[in-house]
Amino acid sequence: MVMDLNKCIGCQTCTMACKRLWTRDEGMEYMWWNTVNTMPGRGTPRDWEQMGGGFADGQPRPGRLPTRRDFGEAWDFNHDEVFFGGQGDKVHLQVKGEAPDWGPNWDEDQGAGEYPNAYYFYLPRICNHCTHPACLEACPRQAIVKREEDGIVLIDEDRCRGYRFCMEACPYKKIYFNHQKKVSQKCIFCFPRIDQGVATACARQCPGRVRFVGYRDDQSAPIWKLVDQWKVALPLHPEFGTEPNVFYVPPIAPPRLDADGNVDESKPRIPDEYLVSLFGPDVLRALEVLKGEMAKTRAGGRSELMDLLIGHKWKDMFGGFDRDPASIEWEKGA
Amino acid sequence: MNVRYLAGRDPAELLDPAAPFWKDSRPEPLRLVGTPSSLQPTAAVRAAWPDARIGAIGAVTVDAVHDGTQLAFRLEWEDPSEDRAIGDTTVFPDAAAVLLPSVPGAPVITMGAPGVAVNAWYWRADEERAGRQVVAEGLGTTRTVDHELVRTHATWKEGRWQVVIARALRVDSKEPVAQLRAGESTGYAVAVWEGSRGERAGIKSYSGNWRELVLAPVA
Ligand code: SF4
Ligand code: SF4
Repeated sequence: MVMDLNKCIGCQTCTMACKRLWTRDEGMEYMWWNTVNTMPGRGTPRDWEQMGGGFADGQPRPGRLPTRRDFGEAWDFNHDEVFFGGQGDKVHLQVKGEAPDWGPNWDEDQGAGEYPNAYYFYLPRICNHCTHPACLEACPRQAIVKREEDGIVLIDEDRCRGYRFCMEACPYKKIYFNHQKKVSQKCIFCFPRIDQGVATACARQCPGRVRFVGYRDDQSAPIWKLVDQWKVALPLHPEFGTEPNVFYVPPIAPPRLDADGNVDESKPRIPDEYLVSLFGPDVLRALEVLKGEMAKTRAGGRSELMDLLIGHKWKDMFGGFDRDPASIEWEKGA
Repeated sequence: MNVRYLAGRDPAELLDPAAPFWKDSRPEPLRLVGTPSSLQPTAAVRAAWPDARIGAIGAVTVDAVHDGTQLAFRLEWEDPSEDRAIGDTTVFPDAAAVLLPSVPGAPVITMGAPGVAVNAWYWRADEERAGRQVVAEGLGTTRTVDHELVRTHATWKEGRWQVVIARALRVDSKEPVAQLRAGESTGYAVAVWEGSRGERAGIKSYSGNWRELVLAPVA
């Protein structure tokens, strides 16, 4: 998958699409296989980038388990009181019980920088279905498999015993523990849809046309073009050593303003070092390519890359996985 | 260890760690050691768990009785923390298991080997009375074959676990589980996991190689 961070509006439609489809059962209340966080920010789970895991020099790097509070509990609201208790004009909607101190999108729109040069962008995340999956390699029970045909990484819940070594090892902290079933669970890249030629729900539902789906090596499809041909889509934290298969087109913020309110092109609004810390040094070259192609179109020319990123034809974004899910007779799942 | 024969016991009594008959025996004290880090099946586990971190529980006492049909083990060890529930993603429950060879000569340290299974009767503090019957044929191959035949009962009092783990001597199972007979002998080993230290899976204390288990004949 490629996600274009210049187009994400942080609407969380992807998050809700995933929630409705996959994580509605008991024990899954606090799970968000898809998250969208404001960057710079502490993310979901809180401070996940500092929790270790993955590989350093090819060797597993020990990680730490996030707590439920780090993820953020699924809060219970006083809906009954507000909507059905005849108190609607007196009580306001609030979380029942102890006041929470973190949630999956707690620092939304905070970002960083000083007015008038504050900046932020949204970072949607799913499991990266890594080529070198730390989760799979950590599991002592071979309960995690990477599908031969498409590389989707799945947990076999019958083999899983809830030991959570995978959760410790995944540097992206994209594994959740189901306290009801006592097994680990994670994004399944909508494999039942993929098997039928349908793109993932997060990709199809995205109103921003942020997400591209397809095989990495399909040269007629967008992933290969963005990652390998144009080299404008990069993995998040490549230094974690798992070789993610989700790639990001880095964000270009509006230009800075100087003290007099004039446009100051001398340095970018989002500091280069920050983007390098997220996407590695190649991000600078990717930004140059993007800016060059943008300039071309601004001057009235055409850019194949910009056309691709705009996604004029929605279905072309899905690398052949463009069947309409409504046209399929789905079997009711167990 | 000699397994005493007690005539016709009520199954509930046999499972009770405080049943009077346990008082007239001399339980066997066992020293436990941590499983070697080098034998953990994945590099991530080996990296996170050096030898010094493995094996929180150093000693356990073991006792056992049978009534001709059921065999009950009683384990007792000191553990200042009662870890029963998985309250959070970072929390692990205490657990213990008795290991028996399904096939004579099955290796303990590697949890059996292909074709030579070992059979664990497993108790975990969050699973109430239903124990697990587990079969393994090598490291990382353990699988729960049923959730019914092994019964457990555990109490934690004054910093000590008292856990009874019982199963019928012979069971109807297509799986390679241990089939036992009064008057015969076999081997046994014990493992304990300390939840508060994050012990789970191969991260545990164990009693080393097989020790002899002699089942008294039915009198
Ligand atoms: S992102 Fe984490 S859970 Fe997903 S494949 Fe990579 S290591 Fe495994
Ligand atoms: S649905 Fe699309 S635009 Fe909305 S938050 Fe998700 S990725 Fe961003």
